[in-house]
Amino acid sequence: MTLHLTHEQLCDLILADSSLPLEGEFQNEIHDSFTTDSDVVHAHLQACPVCSAELRSLRDSLSHFRDASVGYARQEFAHSYARRSSIAPPHSFLSQPLYWTAAALVFVAALFPLSMNRQHPVSNTTTPTASVAPQTAESDEALLTDIDQKVSADVPSPMEPLADPTAGANSATSTSVQRID
Amino acid sequence: MSSRAVTSDTNSMAQHAQATPLDDMASIVATYEQRIFRFHLISIRDRDVAQSLTQDTFVRAWSARESFRGDCSISTWLMRIALNLVRDHTRTDRFRFWKRVSETAVDVSDISAHIPHRDSSLESRLIASEQMALVWESVAQLSERQRSVFLLRFLEELELSEIATITGLPISTVKTHLYRALATIRARHNATHKDSL
Repeated sequence: MTLHLTHEQLCDLILADSSLPLEGEFQNEIHDSFTTDSDVVHAHLQACPVCSAELRSLRDSLSHFRDASVGYARQEFAHSYARRSSIAPPHSFLSQPLYWTAAALVFVAALFPLSMNRQHPVSNTTTPTASVAPQTAESDEALLTDIDQKVSADVPSPMEPLADPTAGANSATSTSVQRID
Repeated sequence: MSSRAVTSDTNSMAQHAQATPLDDMASIVATYEQRIFRFHLISIRDRDVAQSLTQDTFVRAWSARESFRGDCSISTWLMRIALNLVRDHTRTDRFRFWKRVSETAVDVSDISAHIPHRDSSLESRLIASEQMALVWESVAQLSERQRSVFLLRFLEELELSEIATITGLPISTVKTHLYRALATIRARHNATHKDSL
């Protein structure tokens, strides 16, 4: 026989603490072990101040740990909930038409400068393009017409007779020369 | 019975088959958010991370709501997701780094202020703070699995069968983890008592 409770016996006593719920199978197991060892364990706890003091101290420690953790977590949860509530608009506020109207106005106001910026470059670029394009087409047409005329001519232009500025005088001279020949 | 009635019955049956208990996520969040947050906070010991993981828990639950077959309670299912998130988080190197430098890390002094004092004697308060700090520091020394099982039992006060369902371990293994966790706490407890004597 050992002098004190074994670790498993002590743990079973802690796990079987009445403040904690136990599931059926384990409770039966604990109950069975108690029915066999119950008298021995309880007799030992009553007779041994070391084991009873240690059991009480461990139970108190675990109880303080749980109480403090639950209290702290509750406080932190409330703080985080308050922070989130202060950031997000209240739910009832979202359902008001005034809120959505204001949101739409802000959206349109934000889009207005963008649309203005988009229209200005378009108007600046389309005007020169529209004026230049017909001129270019017109000059191309004239150039092609000129080329067609030159190509379709019977006599190439370098071989055409020179134009005589003194057509009347020359005719008289030429006749006289012909006569001399 | 008309064909329209048959069609409407079929549609309602199909909707009923597709509906899950997790469809009303708003009420589920309202019911379980504080509990999930508490588990994350005490497991990770960081307020910001606990908030983030709490949100992730419900996002994952919503994403996987159709896989919920109802073979366990919603709280058990949520706690399983929360436990997996804690496990994923604590296994990263990033966690170890931020644990050292985080400003939102929970200190034992933050916790000890929340011990309820049933009597007002200074000595009993000091003893209670010391006992709480002893468990708090011992839990930090536990392995990841022992810590999870310990917190599920002694913080969340879950039954062993629920812990077994959440962790996917046999009940006997859950008990073994609890024995070892209590052995660590007990060893520290005894060492403190010897030092005080």
